[in-house]
Amino acid sequence: MSKSAPTISVLTANRLSDGAVVFLDFDGVWVEGLRGAVVARSPDEVRALESRGAFDAARNIVVEPYLVEMHEAADGGLTPVRFRERVRLGGPSILGDVPGYVEAVPAKPQARPEPVAGQPVHAEAA
Amino acid sequence: MYRYDEFDAEFVRQRVAQFRDQVERRVKGELTEDEFRPLRLMNGLYLQLHAYMLRIAVPYGTLSSRQMRKLAHIARVYDRGYGHFTTRQNLQFNWPALGDIPDILAELAEVEMHAIQTSGNCIRNVTADHFAGATAEEVADPRPYAEIIRQWSSLHPEFSFLPRKFKVAVTAAERDRAAIQVHDIGLHLKRLADGGLGFAVWVGGGQGRTPLLAKKIRDNLPEADLLSYLEATLRIYNLHGRRDNKYKARIKILVHEIGADAFAAQVEEEWQRIRDGALKLPEDEIKRIDAYFAPPAFVAPPAGASAKPPTGAPDAAFERWIVRNTHAHKQRGYAIVTISLKPIGGVPGDASAAQMDAVADLAQRYSFDEVRVTHEQNLVLPHVCLGDLRAVYDGLVAIGLAEANAGLVTDIIACPGLDYCALANARSIPIAQRISERLATRQDQIGDLKIKISGCINACGHHHVGHIGILGVEKRGEEHYQLLLGGSGAEDAALAAITGPGFGPTGIVDAVEKVVDTYLKLRKDPQEAFLSAYGRLGSAPFKEALYAAAA
Repeated sequence: MSKSAPTISVLTANRLSDGAVVFLDFDGVWVEGLRGAVVARSPDEVRALESRGAFDAARNIVVEPYLVEMHEAADGGLTPVRFRERVRLGGPSILGDVPGYVEAVPAKPQARPEPVAGQPVHAEAA
Repeated sequence: MYRYDEFDAEFVRQRVAQFRDQVERRVKGELTEDEFRPLRLMNGLYLQLHAYMLRIAVPYGTLSSRQMRKLAHIARVYDRGYGHFTTRQNLQFNWPALGDIPDILAELAEVEMHAIQTSGNCIRNVTADHFAGATAEEVADPRPYAEIIRQWSSLHPEFSFLPRKFKVAVTAAERDRAAIQVHDIGLHLKRLADGGLGFAVWVGGGQGRTPLLAKKIRDNLPEADLLSYLEATLRIYNLHGRRDNKYKARIKILVHEIGADAFAAQVEEEWQRIRDGALKLPEDEIKRIDAYFAPPAFVAPPAGASAKPPTGAPDAAFERWIVRNTHAHKQRGYAIVTISLKPIGGVPGDASAAQMDAVADLAQRYSFDEVRVTHEQNLVLPHVCLGDLRAVYDGLVAIGLAEANAGLVTDIIACPGLDYCALANARSIPIAQRISERLATRQDQIGDLKIKISGCINACGHHHVGHIGILGVEKRGEEHYQLLLGGSGAEDAALAAITGPGFGPTGIVDAVEKVVDTYLKLRKDPQEAFLSAYGRLGSAPFKEALYAAAA
């Protein structure tokens, strides 16, 4: 990992099927939004997340995974440091003004893995 | 309009089948993203910030009603109810799912459309004057030549992997609505001394991180030699254009580095070698393509009918719309109508499926079935009978597209910016919306003024040639905007100059208003347009207004 790697970061990518912005959660599932996102706080955890991203890209679940640097509030709330990532997380800021805009039908969520006794699936423990 | 022949139809059909297979293999995991990316880009499919984006070619900006209805249908069935008309006369859908793309392309093929060569380092969709075939200012309709170039450049084996993308624009009028001086090749169709038609060839223009105006490297090129000369030009570029640095790979850098004269000499040498070969355009072939663009069956106006639109109408809003959004037609009794896709505070270039359908209906009923897309992100009904203007206007009022602002300060070009684009550093659309809202009540007083906004240095929003240009950048992780003044993409092409330090997202709207206020204060009279006043005054009074208080 490069020296510039953020110490608090989450793993994001675009979903292969529809390009939607997704984040890796504690179950190893890619979800829309930051709820349950795995946070990497150390170089080791960053490496683990990067490996997971490359693995899921190779499995054709997601495209172009990368780490996003986050601010963490006292209550644990996460906000992307860069404005770009805030827009990417929140969606286009102007959809309310788009003529004829129709909300998307929510995509079918990725199946959650069956828990395996004594074997946590989240990246922090990897 | 051009109609596909059997070859065209089969070629597009095969490409749809080919891409369907590629998508299936990608979804199954038989193709990696690295393998799939160039394939999807060749079919106009990008991965943007929030979703895939499909860019559909609108050749030289001409659409039939049937095609427009198909775009509306795709927006409704496969996307989120709208589409975005771009500065390259194309249409983008912002939310298609990967698995739907083959079906979308198959639907497009039904109406003779596709997304081939709307991305990648190849010759892109050829753009043209959006008043082509309708304006009296042109020597001939330039679109037959754009179509000939389209046919020559589609899957051209030698030019499918150029150093970088390549954009060609064509106009046939002195008044340049196609921005030919900021294209890789700009073609100006002219009447030659011998009475025939020919071209002035401008090469090496472009915006992006290194904005340069094109140089005229050939004048009076006979029409029969168009393709051989283009082939020679592309060949020299393909051989010598830089492939070591993406940012120096456009033809403008090559022309700039070796000089226009040296470049022209190399093209000339190659052209002399091939000019009488297979690419010489037979007169019959030009005539055959020309016939597709034959003028519609205009109806002669009744005796005594005014050649001018009915400006005496009692409705002030209609009157304003007539003044701003209709333009002189070559045929007596007709007008060209600009449909503004810039409602006050709206999203530049966006149209809902319902609006697209309604415009298609208006075109079918009142404009010989034709719609044009402009590089200024508006639509045009090219051939409207003066007596039908009221009905067209009423139809546009009903769908919220009757803003009488063509060419005014609220008729803003804006790229998708950070709201959609993976390359953008800052949002463009909200800045356009706020400027539009801020200046709307004064737009008639301000007069002709083109604002163009890009969300990154790639300049899809043409900020370098805005009378007022805005460039979004990222500064310490936040949005920041540079202000530029004095550009033009028309026949008086000029590159805008940065005023000085940039502004935040709120400050940039205030800054634009200060520039406008300064212009209003210093213009000689209301007839002196912003660009003329800027040319006379220079940048000093504008900089003074922008920065003096902070100094």
